[in-house]
Amino acid sequence: MALHCRDIESFLPAYVDGEFDASERAEVESHLVDCAACQHAVRIQSAMKEAVKRAAPAVAPIELRRSVRLALRDEEPPGSRWDAVLRNPRSVGLLAAAVGAAVWFLAGGMSHPIFPRNHSGLVEDGIALHRRGLPLDYTASDVGSVQQWLAGRLDFAARVPRFRQGPALQGVRLSHLHSRPAAALSYAVPQGQRVTLLIADDPDDGDPPGSVRRLPGRQVWLSRTRGYNVVSWRTDEIVYSLISDLDESDVLQLVQAVELR
Amino acid sequence: MLDFKHTDRTRREFEALSLEHLDPLYSAALRLTKNERDAEDLVQDTFLRAFRFFDKFERGTNMKAWLFKILTNTFINRYRRRVKERTVVEGAAREQSSERFIVRETAESAVNPEQYFFDKLLSDDVLRSIDGLPIDFRLVVILADLQEFSYKEIAEILDCPVGTVMSRLYRGRKLLQKNLMSYAVEQGVLQAPRAMELGSEAEEEADVLQFKRRAGG
Repeated sequence: MALHCRDIESFLPAYVDGEFDASERAEVESHLVDCAACQHAVRIQSAMKEAVKRAAPAVAPIELRRSVRLALRDEEPPGSRWDAVLRNPRSVGLLAAAVGAAVWFLAGGMSHPIFPRNHSGLVEDGIALHRRGLPLDYTASDVGSVQQWLAGRLDFAARVPRFRQGPALQGVRLSHLHSRPAAALSYAVPQGQRVTLLIADDPDDGDPPGSVRRLPGRQVWLSRTRGYNVVSWRTDEIVYSLISDLDESDVLQLVQAVELR
Repeated sequence: MLDFKHTDRTRREFEALSLEHLDPLYSAALRLTKNERDAEDLVQDTFLRAFRFFDKFERGTNMKAWLFKILTNTFINRYRRRVKERTVVEGAAREQSSERFIVRETAESAVNPEQYFFDKLLSDDVLRSIDGLPIDFRLVVILADLQEFSYKEIAEILDCPVGTVMSRLYRGRKLLQKNLMSYAVEQGVLQAPRAMELGSEAEEEADVLQFKRRAGG
């Protein structure tokens, strides 16, 4: 049965995309031979397809490749959580110790859980974000308006801290870190560098990575990762991480200047 | 020790299989989210999720299609709400002006007018036209034209029948063509109206599902 232009039209994408087998192609082509209008339509579709390909050849930024690899390094591979732990004699020992500790913990021995959790992933993502220096979603230098801007955009109550002296707030960028919404506040410090304060909602109440440092009135965790000093602290379910390449004493001094109202 | 080796091997295998698809994933993410920042976040999320579910990936099957499925699902679930959709056709005037066109007469355009026309279009206009498509159509155009997936692969990625892929692609390309025509008029590549019908519209939209092979033969 001969095809009409109207039949052909809706099949042209499939024809142009090479989805038809030989007999279907032959059928379409037997119509095309005598039909200038459909030939024309075929040429348009092909040219358009080419134009789309030509116009959008995006190459991923080098930084993205790096940050994907960085983030993967922190991810546990699937299925490895318990079977790998149990397969390994050393971790069985650790596990036994942990179970012992957990019993002690349940007996009221400590105010923090003993298992190290995967908070370092959040921090590493934060570092990747900091390094990329991506554009800000909202630019403002006063705490109030940034706070207000954030209010409708995060599903947790992030509080933008005030610094008594030092860093100048530049603005904020929203992101997803480990599938969680997070705000990255950007600051300029007198030393000339950039400082990022990452605010992330973290309902698992584990400790941030790093070693505990006691500051007047507060406990923080200091870690050094990929050349960055990161100081983290927790307020309820929200983890704040200050990321910078300032040295340890400078970054701790910055944290001491933080007022959380 | 053992678990580190196991972890490293899995990670290396995953990276070897997945990272080569970073550029195509990013270019698709860019057209979905329409901005670089969200595109980067979307791609990063896609890789992390893929790695988490790597044990569900059947070795030897199509890694690229699998990653694209995760990318589109992640986009639909998480980012779509954040990204504003633009309307396809911005005004009645534009719609009218895109009905019929004439290619400016030059030696080049006489040989292959369609090719000449699309070569003259700025890439930015092409991108704007893609970005102007409603999400369902944009997805199939991205997957078919930009990534050159087969209809069967697209159907698997989007979890829909092949017939749906075909009809969305048919309508998506029609809209795309219309959008491109109006940019062409703005750019002066085409003069409206008259002779050559680059943007011919069918009176009614044929039901592609009627196509015999797809419909059950």
